[in-house]
Amino acid sequence: MNFTRRLFLKHTVAAGAGFFSIFKKKAHAQDHQPVTNELQVGCLVDTTLCIGCRQCEKACNLNNEMPKPEVPFTDKSVFREMRRPTENALTVVNEYVGNPSQDQPQRANTYTKVQCMHCLDPSCVSACIVGALTRTKDGAVVYNPVICLGCRYCMVACPFQIPAYEYEDALTPLVQKCEFCADFSQGTGADPSCAKACPTEAILFGKRTELLELARERISKRPDRYIDRIYGENEVGGTAWLYLAGRSLEEIDLLELPGDAPPRLTEKIQHTIFRFGAIPLAIYGALGAVMWHVNRKQDSEQDMEGDQNE
Amino acid sequence: MNSHGTERIRKPLFTPGTYILLTLMGIGFSFGLTRMFAGLSAVTNLDNFFPWGIWIAVDVACGVALAAGGFTTAAFVEIFGKHKFKPLLRPAILTAWLGYAMVAIGLMFDLGRFWNIWRPLFNWQGNSGLFEVAMCVMAYLTVLTIEMSPSFLEGFKERIDQNKAGSKLLQHLEKPLLVIHRAVKVVLPIFILAGVVLSFMHQSSLGTIILIAPTKIHSLWFTPLLPLLFLMSAVMVGFPMVFIESLVASKVFGRISEMHLLEKMAKLVPWFIGLYGLVKFGDLVVRFNSIDFIGNPVYTITFVIEILAGVVLPFFLFTRSWVRRSRSLLFFSSLLVIFGLVLNRINVYLVAYDPPFATSKYFPSIGEIFFTVGMVATIMFLYRIVVTFFPVVQRCTCGECAARYKREEEQRKNALSTPWIRIIQGLALAMLLVFVLFYTFVHKQALAGTSSAFNWANKVTPVKNAPVELSPSPHLFRPEGYANLYMLDNEILNTATDFYEPVRFTHRTHDVVTDGNCGVCHHRFSMSEEDRIGENVKEFHMDFDVRIANAPCGSCHDMEDIYVQKCSTCHWLPGEPDDRNRLGLKGAYHQQCIGCHEGQPNAQRAPVDCLSCHHPYTPDHDALVQLSQDPDIQEVTSSCLSCHDSVGQDILHSAHWTWQGHSPSIRGHEHDVSLGRKTVFNNCSLAMGSDNVTCAQCHIGFGWNDEGFDFTDPQKIDCLVCHDTTQTYRKGKGGLPLESIDLVQVAASVGRPSRSNCGLCHFNSGGGANFKHGDLEPILADAPDDFDVHMGRYNLRCQDCHTTYQHHIAGESLASPAVEGRVQCVQCHGSAPHGISGMLSRHLDDHTRSVGCETCHIPFIAKETPTRVSVDFSRAGQDLAPEYDELGNSTYDKKIGSQKWAKNLIPEYLWYDGTREAHMIGDKIDPSDIVDLNRPLGERIDPSARIYPFKAHTAVQPFDTEQSTLVVLRFEESFWDHYDWNQAISEGMSRIGLEYSGSYDFVETRMYISIHHEVAPTRETLGCADCHSQSAVTCRRCHGQEMGEELPAHAYRIYPDAQKRMDFQKLGYQGDPALVGGRLYINPKR
Ligand code: SF4
Ligand code: SF4
Ligand code: SF4
Repeated sequence: MNFTRRLFLKHTVAAGAGFFSIFKKKAHAQDHQPVTNELQVGCLVDTTLCIGCRQCEKACNLNNEMPKPEVPFTDKSVFREMRRPTENALTVVNEYVGNPSQDQPQRANTYTKVQCMHCLDPSCVSACIVGALTRTKDGAVVYNPVICLGCRYCMVACPFQIPAYEYEDALTPLVQKCEFCADFSQGTGADPSCAKACPTEAILFGKRTELLELARERISKRPDRYIDRIYGENEVGGTAWLYLAGRSLEEIDLLELPGDAPPRLTEKIQHTIFRFGAIPLAIYGALGAVMWHVNRKQDSEQDMEGDQNE
Repeated sequence: MNSHGTERIRKPLFTPGTYILLTLMGIGFSFGLTRMFAGLSAVTNLDNFFPWGIWIAVDVACGVALAAGGFTTAAFVEIFGKHKFKPLLRPAILTAWLGYAMVAIGLMFDLGRFWNIWRPLFNWQGNSGLFEVAMCVMAYLTVLTIEMSPSFLEGFKERIDQNKAGSKLLQHLEKPLLVIHRAVKVVLPIFILAGVVLSFMHQSSLGTIILIAPTKIHSLWFTPLLPLLFLMSAVMVGFPMVFIESLVASKVFGRISEMHLLEKMAKLVPWFIGLYGLVKFGDLVVRFNSIDFIGNPVYTITFVIEILAGVVLPFFLFTRSWVRRSRSLLFFSSLLVIFGLVLNRINVYLVAYDPPFATSKYFPSIGEIFFTVGMVATIMFLYRIVVTFFPVVQRCTCGECAARYKREEEQRKNALSTPWIRIIQGLALAMLLVFVLFYTFVHKQALAGTSSAFNWANKVTPVKNAPVELSPSPHLFRPEGYANLYMLDNEILNTATDFYEPVRFTHRTHDVVTDGNCGVCHHRFSMSEEDRIGENVKEFHMDFDVRIANAPCGSCHDMEDIYVQKCSTCHWLPGEPDDRNRLGLKGAYHQQCIGCHEGQPNAQRAPVDCLSCHHPYTPDHDALVQLSQDPDIQEVTSSCLSCHDSVGQDILHSAHWTWQGHSPSIRGHEHDVSLGRKTVFNNCSLAMGSDNVTCAQCHIGFGWNDEGFDFTDPQKIDCLVCHDTTQTYRKGKGGLPLESIDLVQVAASVGRPSRSNCGLCHFNSGGGANFKHGDLEPILADAPDDFDVHMGRYNLRCQDCHTTYQHHIAGESLASPAVEGRVQCVQCHGSAPHGISGMLSRHLDDHTRSVGCETCHIPFIAKETPTRVSVDFSRAGQDLAPEYDELGNSTYDKKIGSQKWAKNLIPEYLWYDGTREAHMIGDKIDPSDIVDLNRPLGERIDPSARIYPFKAHTAVQPFDTEQSTLVVLRFEESFWDHYDWNQAISEGMSRIGLEYSGSYDFVETRMYISIHHEVAPTRETLGCADCHSQSAVTCRRCHGQEMGEELPAHAYRIYPDAQKRMDFQKLGYQGDPALVGGRLYINPKR
């Protein structure tokens, strides 16, 4: 017994150390950075153009085959309260009193459309336990209901408080969020219905780099109309959806967020601790060594004292 | 390894304590069951803001942390060789095992798609802290099971030995049980080590997962050190958990207390607490400046409680030896540590979690609390079960027992030969290797950004952003000959969505509004079709002269010849590469329109809401309407209402349904709300109220018969009469559809009402085509271009002017009192409608102060179908041959009497201030004179009155000579059967509940119908000389000789019978106002 145990502990420790050394060489791999390639698409929402007609909501509803809402899309009474995207409405438009920019004194209200921002480095994707949320090649953050567990970690993670959940459904609830109208069954990427529906072209769909240029151009051409800020350019590492505003972002509920993407912290921790299993193995090895050492000592003590316990 | 030293508890299982546990479990799981059937929303207070509640914060986060007793004790005893404490190990492992099992079971209720719980095994997402936790917990649960298995195996063995229930069955397994026991024993060190490492991993990862939401977690708790803190606090709570469990067990089971061991272990606890406290405090100090202490004191208070009661106080207590030696104080101090940990986990997961936009904070529901309590009770109950049936607690040391245990030990020792032991150990090592390899692989993948979990999405190909093939197609469609109306319709516009019908764009109206400055919209021009950027119109003209740039375009350009740039020459799709800032066609329209409309003072003329310019398309109802094979109209209505429920309620209050309503323009009845067809007289048919079945043909309900009708039942609405688009729907007696109509087809193709829908009743009112109105004849359903500018040229629907709101339809007829809104020309044309061309338009605009638009613009009515101008009922019933006039209209009919008709009728002109009289049923009359039933009010000196055209309809009709009131009579089934006036009148009067004296005579009555339709095109409107004396039509009369003499040709035009048209004397003037002066001022140069 003693013999086997000792031998065995030795093996264990040796094995652990062995692994550690094998992967030591490669331990310098770059941290995974989200790739924004030339395919990255986006949408530019110009809140100074939005007239609150809710056509985007309607287009979204139809395209995503959502249930018909109780009040029709022409009914503006919904603006009485601030809404957030829900499991039945992936995008909503909110109304804020006050003109969208100094430049438009005739307008009494500002409207802001809310939907998933399609972060370039999405917290929800990093969080999802099984990869049910992920980014397509063009940057749409899409959802795979087949593998989702319904743990709702994505909802905890999202800094924009976007994903909604079908709590009413007992057995097959889904997480619902804008998927940029990517059609997985067709194997196609982002193709937003809301942008097509918008009558004033307040939502522009295109390559993100071009939209950024366009937004900068608009700001520089009309400094009296826009505040000098493209919302979504840097927020949480950048988002595919970009917003132009003529008044302070806070007033129209565009959250002030840090420039760092939250996953950079958590993934760094994860991959530092668990990179190639190094630290766990080291702990395993160290504890194994202690165990081996302590037990050997005790065994020899016992050998001398005679077997009392066994 | 630890097979020795334990035994079963030999006490009755069912005690009051276990009954309480069972009750709590029952309650808890009944809530769990509810969740399974009715969903999370039925049991929990979770919402989109707070996706995690106490089932995660307590059941999982606290559950895992509190199970730390297992790995800490295992490490303490087995790794650090404190074998003395072995008696505490098995209970600790058992507690941990049960704790983790309950975490897994609890998750089955919290996970929305719990049946997918195995997915992480196959979908590896190494970036996710939660994945880490899931895999580790699964692995650790396996390890714990292995660690627990000796207990179970020994328990089975004992059953066999003691011939207990089930021993027969187990007997066959005796040998395998021995082998397994031995096998487990030889690999146990591997797993004990693995268990500790796994615990380290997931205890810390539970802290990592919450770090994903830096902006939502309050700064007091948010620190990158959270994983470390979680790990250290788990280690800290391990021993106290063992203390509690041991103290409780020894008390409950009445066993010797293990205080001597606990006391020694407790010496280590201050180190753990102290270290944790140190790191936590150090972290606070480092982050001090970034922490928001005062924003919300609640956070600070809970934080302080967590630290003081959960860390500082127990630290102090555990350092005291008198505390460690006292059972109760040790118990209390351990409880404090546990309390601190639980509070910490709740704080981090729930209290500190502060999502944006949330309006209220999460608080657990009764169901969540009871379920959690139920889970704890389950752990305790299962603990009780296991220790009762399997040897877990320290065993009896009596000689007999000792001998038995020794014997068993020997038996087991020989169960496996050395080579087998090697193989088994090798396998265990291999398992470990596989796990490590797996881990390495997962993280490598994750680091490279190619997690296998994401494979499913790699199939997606990005949508190509290649420019769509488009050409400068005509974006506005101008119907042949329609000079000023454009349909804004185009494939570019419709590439996107098509929720709305094209806008009818009245170009000239907009031309007027912009003061002839075409450049407001046509702001650039290009010289070729390829040039989609062009030149700025304004700047281009500025190069010549500022004055040119600001002049109306028409002052230099001949608008007939100039090539005007279409919007779609340049504007196609938004953001095209050659000029990203150029709007797409849709944006160009909307931004242009809205930009101008918003600035306009008259919101009615320049509306900004969508529906004022657009009509939404009616969805295809073919699939939406579900009807049986051969439905009746009732079924159709029920089917409509099943979706359009509120519409039914709206209609119940509309004048089209009630036939009565508010009568603001009837003098003396301004505040009445119940005048209607049944209360006022009209002289077209005298049967009002006495013949419902016939009248009901024009009611928007069905089933109105002589017995009456339920006006409160929306199921009786006839939706189809207005919404039929097949133009086949016809109503018969009682308002029921004719038998021959295919209701299924009609219902499947419902849509917006067209002119023919309204015309079904309104073109035929008074008994036949154009009988009553004169300006509403069937041809308007499909009017020729010039017949009526609105309905012909611009193809407007009735409701384009007669705006509707909740099925209340604006418009006013002099013949019926109820009004649901007025329709006036100004609502579109404004108060200065005559355009921009200088003096003449000014002069014409001046006319609008005294003359209604209709007066000049509707020179004739009944242009196609003759209208009835008079009827003499007194001649009815005579046995004469029917007579007809040259147009084929009946001039004598036995049923009606004699009638007169007119085509191309010149209206009568009267002052009208918008109010009128109304003859109510029962009003006294003066038989010596013609009786006016609805005389328009207004006179020359009244500034609010204007001259309007009317059609007059006279009738000779019966009245009650005694009471001097007009009477109704019943035609159908009465007069037309026997032609006895007296009998028909008394039947008719009794039907509406009025007295009839029995003697009647005839009196002449007159009814006026206002004229608004059949508006002629500009060139056919009245010319000046149609009303005014020819000699007066000159500008020089006012402006002097120096004035030019040029008036447009049509100003002089006169219709042949001009003299008959305007009788100024009758209107109260002394003569032609062009000569004698206006009504309110005297012409200074007269
Ligand atoms: S906004 Fe939220 S849901 Fe959308 S991608 Fe970003 S983190 Fe995910
Ligand atoms: S709820 Fe579904 S999509 Fe969201 S993190 Fe969990 S498994 Fe992923
Ligand atoms: S992109 Fe699609 S899913 Fe997202 S808001 Fe727009 S219409 Fe809705």
